[in-house]
Amino acid sequence: MELMLNLIINGLATGMLVFLLAAGLTLIFGLMDVLNFAHGGFFAWGAFSAVWLYSLSGSFFVAIIGAIATGIMLGIFTEKIIIKPVYGNHIQQILITLGFMLVLTEFIKVVWGPNQMAAKTPEFLTGSWELGNVILIKYRVFIIIIALIVYSMVQIALKKTKIGLIVRAGVMDKEMVQALGINIKKVFMFVFIVGSAMAALGGALIAPYSGVVYAEMGMEYAILAFIVVVIGGMGSFSGSLFAAILVGLSGSFMAYFIPDLSLAVNMLLMAIVLIFRPQGLFISRG
Amino acid sequence: MKRLGCISQISLIIIAVCLMVIPFVYESRSTLILLTQIFIFAIFAMSYDILLGYTGIVSFGHAMFFGIGAYTTGILLQRQEPTMGIFILSIIVGIIISVIVSYIVGLMTLRLKSHFYAMLTLAFASLFQVASEKWRSLTSGNDGFTFRIPEILIDRSTFYLICLILMVILYFMLQRFTQSPMGSVLIAIRENEQRAESLGYKVLHYKIIASIIAGATACLAGSLYAASLRFVNTSVFTMDTTLDALLMTIIGGVGTLLGPVIGAGLIEFAHHWLSGLAEKYPLFERWIIFFGIIYILAVMFFPKGIVGSIQGWKAGKKLKKAVKVKHEKKIAG
Repeated sequence: MELMLNLIINGLATGMLVFLLAAGLTLIFGLMDVLNFAHGGFFAWGAFSAVWLYSLSGSFFVAIIGAIATGIMLGIFTEKIIIKPVYGNHIQQILITLGFMLVLTEFIKVVWGPNQMAAKTPEFLTGSWELGNVILIKYRVFIIIIALIVYSMVQIALKKTKIGLIVRAGVMDKEMVQALGINIKKVFMFVFIVGSAMAALGGALIAPYSGVVYAEMGMEYAILAFIVVVIGGMGSFSGSLFAAILVGLSGSFMAYFIPDLSLAVNMLLMAIVLIFRPQGLFISRG
Repeated sequence: MKRLGCISQISLIIIAVCLMVIPFVYESRSTLILLTQIFIFAIFAMSYDILLGYTGIVSFGHAMFFGIGAYTTGILLQRQEPTMGIFILSIIVGIIISVIVSYIVGLMTLRLKSHFYAMLTLAFASLFQVASEKWRSLTSGNDGFTFRIPEILIDRSTFYLICLILMVILYFMLQRFTQSPMGSVLIAIRENEQRAESLGYKVLHYKIIASIIAGATACLAGSLYAASLRFVNTSVFTMDTTLDALLMTIIGGVGTLLGPVIGAGLIEFAHHWLSGLAEKYPLFERWIIFFGIIYILAVMFFPKGIVGSIQGWKAGKKLKKAVKVKHEKKIAG
């Protein structure tokens, strides 16, 4: 029982981190048909800048704010310089964002050196709570809470605000939204920035969780995020939360019972979804 | 135009013959090894071009076929006697495996939008990479393993000639393939998928065949690569291998088989040269950044690559000439 609960908490924490990465990816795709292969780069940049700022300032709050700021700046740069010139051309988009991912990853090595960096957990989040005979590691609970806060904030913004309305309408039918006189490219830019900030936040949160950060982590987590996006359905925000939890849980359980097969199980999940419901679990249209 | 094609065909054969003479007149081991690498990567890049340039589908996991070839050859030659027969057998086994893998992956994802194929091939390639790290009894994990190769291949110049001849044969075979009716259907799919579909072609069927052919060719390149190093480790499955093929194809010219060959030559030379520079200037240790930036600029401003741009420029010149002649005739008449 105790083991199960620990595995569940573990899986939820990983799932939430992947969700922060996948949510931006899925919204960007749903709105503009842009699949951003550089998204994992924002994640890695968030992680590195958070670790660096934390070691400089000693304040975890500053580190997280700094990581988000990095994500926003990278998002603006990417949207303006990399993606704007190739709107509408899918093949070029895929190729160019992958190239940018490569540059981002290598640039980390230029700025912070090629070796991995150790990340410390802030003091107030180290240790664990004991409830009866169940041990809850504080930092994992913290990740889950933060991700849930982000999820509900974005969900409220999507459901209650005007811009959220435009985003939801844009995901459904962007030509119609444009025909109503709304400049969807501006909305898209906004969504892109929010997405990259979320990815950077995810990176900042993962650093103390995994203990080390390295430049290639962006690509590793991006692959998990792609699996999540496929399972949840491209463009579905709630779908990506559900799928991320599924992937996180299956990953943590497999890592405990059959460690060698944890990636294979996620791939198998994705293959099953692709065969029986290629549009994803949470998308009703084909 | 046909005559022009004939002339360039002949000049290519002359270049190939010149390359064939090199090992007999020029005794430099490192140059021979570099050229052999170029031929092997040219085969790999040509196979990638069948997907990207002719069918218009982006794969980010092409390294997996390369790796399958490399590992099959490595494992069979290590376990069995290193004879020529086993080497050829390993190539055949590798091709069979990659045909099966590319069929399964293609069947699952090629009916969806192009994004899915790019994403899923990336995921599948990482699955293969993880498998090669974890299945230690077969692959010795991350460290890789060395193996002996058939005696005929130990001589560098023989191996050089074999790679060169295979490259030339594959170039003409793939060219024949792209000019066949099937190749025209692939180009039609690249240009306008809906129209090809509404003309009655089974698009999925053709896409899968293209991915199988590309996979099998890449697998052959992988086998040769492993044999040239006499060593194989997990790096053959990494993203970098796919990126090499991508760079060579894009810089050389997509949709022209000659482009990837030229691209392979350029990238491998630059590789060699920049790693030499890195010993003196530490900045060049991160040479991938330069490649990445060149690649982004190429995709943005130079999407046809070297060969494609030259062809476009030639065609434009011809058009201008034709217009001029017409104009002059008009004035005279």
